[in-house]
Amino acid sequence: MSDLALEHLTKIYPGSETPAVEGVSLNVESGSLTALLGPSACGKSTILKMIAGLLTPTSGDIRFAGSSVLKQPPQSRDAVMVFQDHLLFPYLTVGENVGFGLKMRVQAKAKINRAVGEILELVQLSGLEQRKPSELSGGQQQRVALARALILRPRILLLDEPFSNLDESLRLEMQTLLKSLHAEMKTTMLFVTHDQEEAITLADKIALLLSGRLRQYDIPQNLYNHPKDREVAQFFGARNFISGRVEAGKFDCPLGQIVLPENAPADGRLLTIRPENIVIGSNASSDNSFPATIASKKFLGSQTRLELDATGQELTVLLSPNIAESLQAGTEIIIQLPRQSLWVLP
Amino acid sequence: MKTRFQGLSGLSWLSLALLISWLILPLIPLALWSVSRSWFFPDILPSSYSLRAWSYVFSTTSEVLPALGQTALIALGATCISVIIGVPAGRALGLYQFRGKAVIEILILAPMIVPGIAVALGLHVVFLKLGLAGSAIGVMIVHLIPTLPYMVLVMSGVFSNYNPAAEAQARSLGASPLQAFYYVTLPAILPGLMIGSLFTFLVSWSQYILTLLIGGGRVVTLPLLLFNFASAGRNDITGAISMIYILPGVLLLLVAARYLTGRNGNLEGMHRI
Amino acid sequence: MLSPALLIVCGLFIGGLALGFVGSLGYMPLIGQETFNLDAYRQILLSERFLLSFLLTFHIAFTSTVIASLLALGAALILRQSFLGRSVINFLFQINLTVPHLVGAVGILYLFSQSGVFARLAYEFSLISKPSEFPAMIFDPLAIGIIMQYVWKEIPFIGLILLANMQTIGRDYEAVAQSLGASRWQSFRHVLLPLLMPGLLTSGMIVFAFTFGAYEIPALLGQNYPAALPVLAYQAFTDVDLNARPEALAMAMIIALLSAVMIYGYARFTRRYIRK
Repeated sequence: MSDLALEHLTKIYPGSETPAVEGVSLNVESGSLTALLGPSACGKSTILKMIAGLLTPTSGDIRFAGSSVLKQPPQSRDAVMVFQDHLLFPYLTVGENVGFGLKMRVQAKAKINRAVGEILELVQLSGLEQRKPSELSGGQQQRVALARALILRPRILLLDEPFSNLDESLRLEMQTLLKSLHAEMKTTMLFVTHDQEEAITLADKIALLLSGRLRQYDIPQNLYNHPKDREVAQFFGARNFISGRVEAGKFDCPLGQIVLPENAPADGRLLTIRPENIVIGSNASSDNSFPATIASKKFLGSQTRLELDATGQELTVLLSPNIAESLQAGTEIIIQLPRQSLWVLP
Repeated sequence: MKTRFQGLSGLSWLSLALLISWLILPLIPLALWSVSRSWFFPDILPSSYSLRAWSYVFSTTSEVLPALGQTALIALGATCISVIIGVPAGRALGLYQFRGKAVIEILILAPMIVPGIAVALGLHVVFLKLGLAGSAIGVMIVHLIPTLPYMVLVMSGVFSNYNPAAEAQARSLGASPLQAFYYVTLPAILPGLMIGSLFTFLVSWSQYILTLLIGGGRVVTLPLLLFNFASAGRNDITGAISMIYILPGVLLLLVAARYLTGRNGNLEGMHRI
Repeated sequence: MLSPALLIVCGLFIGGLALGFVGSLGYMPLIGQETFNLDAYRQILLSERFLLSFLLTFHIAFTSTVIASLLALGAALILRQSFLGRSVINFLFQINLTVPHLVGAVGILYLFSQSGVFARLAYEFSLISKPSEFPAMIFDPLAIGIIMQYVWKEIPFIGLILLANMQTIGRDYEAVAQSLGASRWQSFRHVLLPLLMPGLLTSGMIVFAFTFGAYEIPALLGQNYPAALPVLAYQAFTDVDLNARPEALAMAMIIALLSAVMIYGYARFTRRYIRK
């Protein structure tokens, strides 16, 4: 069942010509963990704020379990937002911060205290109730912010780049925590991120936004391997694009005829393959093998990048440094484009 | 940040209109009185108008013009001394951390909060002994009590946004300390310094009790004159003097309102005006 | 770099206070008094004149600070929103910031005295038939005129400090609160107000100290008995009887003591605010 539905959601800020968000439609399933992925200023935070009720859409609708919530003020939407900055109230203790939402709902003190204790245990901060936010580390502060939202058991938890201010190791720790909290509480979660790795590791489904428009909404593997168009592919790091056209399960291009996977779209004009999927020095017998010359070689640390010239077609290959060791610029090689790694774009 | 006009509710507009009228209102009878010839109870507006008060104010026989000059000179002198002494002090407070800084900050702040009368009554004896009581110089010196801390506060705000590395760069390129100050530091702090000086001028310009006590009635500045005419019931002349007296402040506000953001120290001392 | 400034501040400010203190203890070599005693304090603390004056001054300072703070808070809440014509309104809001207190006092006098503009309006609408029927708000026992003048002058001062604070705080905290289920009132009461408290308290303390020690406004708008404390101190100081001087200085010390309390509070709250 879909828990949250966006319908043709558009937001134009007053005084601005171009929409920040344009015609976004999206169904978020109940209990799922969904990522809104996109570069900065692509409108993803605007969408989150509209769902939370902190911004009013210019047009379109937002539905929770089928009914529109546009007329409801933020406090009665049951969609709680966690911001990039933890934004803990500095004059309250950790316990008071976490209990804030329940206090706003005028609940008994004892009940609030019990709930605060439980949720703090869940985010592994038991016993820190009396501390001030300024006495906590960055990771702890963000945990408190999470706890402050989760204690309300919201229908939807909205996370706006919650971990982007943390350093690498803390971020990984927080991602693990979020994943386990999601498994435990089964809250529908929608989180915004510009980090594709974070989106791929965490999310059940990813909605990719580019300049205010929803470009693809799918499971992470599909976004990565079966992008819908060139821009989506490029966002996920695709660099090889070969022009041509599809004819009877094969891709006709200057390189020759390339055999496509069965599920490939039948009407594309661009063939793409990820740099790490190109195989160097194949058995001559296998499909999709072509001669190429190494134009340049660059050591990148864990990988080595080769720029190839395959009968006029530029291709980029990433491979492990020990395989690349024997290869030099100018060397002529055979490359193979494995069938299952190919994808066709419009 | 994008400009967004969300609009105000009717109630907000009403309260805003009331508030602004209240803030402007006391100035209106002053302006009217300055051009009135006769304005007796119960007339809402003057029954006849004339420029009598204004021609009195600007006549060579009235004491208004000398008082105006006196006030301006004292304010100018107090401002200059405040700049010369206050800029280095502001630099020290704005740029550097040192032991006892908090104490010094409070010491600088205190004269802006403690009312002038509490200090000036004690100073009176010394000024008398030094022959400074009753003289414009003495009044100017005592005006430093509010003006200097104000200048220091403003300049420490200016310097806390200033990067001294530029001076080091100039020195390494062969500038003397004086050249480095003139070509590097001064241009950087000049806008803040100008605005701060103008407001400092205004702080001195508005002093009443310090002038009255140390001047002993012999140093007649505009506010003293204003007070005398107001208590003598010469409403027309009071009105005209008021208009002259508020002019520098209003002009300054037109130029510098955007600097009164509370973030650069300009605002904190405004209550002494 | 600091020493010239410190020298002047210490010389004039600390010196003035110290001399005042010594003088308040009766030490006046000018008239041959070279002993220290607490007579001046004893005398003023026992005199009804002083006590009434102190209470009146406290009432003036406290009432005007509270009213000005509340109105300034309301004004800041409206002015921080964006609306058409905001820059004009903002300018008008600041206009009396640079108008000296004394001018405001004269303006209030011409508005609210028994022959002032409002009395004339009351006559026009047949609410009164002669000036003396208009309620006394100048030279009155409750010091209404004085309080109105201070409120008039301090609303923009406090208001601008609060606006600057609001700008620093931003709107995100309130957004979080609303998202966590706080109504508009709750997010004001439980989030914005506590965040503004340090600014409200510090500006209130500045205003309180000022209104407690200002001379010219109560001198122009206040009644003779009881007079506001600074007026009383000035009168005692300029009394032909030099024996009244220690009392004047003692009153000055009491004003200074009260502002010292305000400075202490100011320092504490700004410190706490900066640490956050």
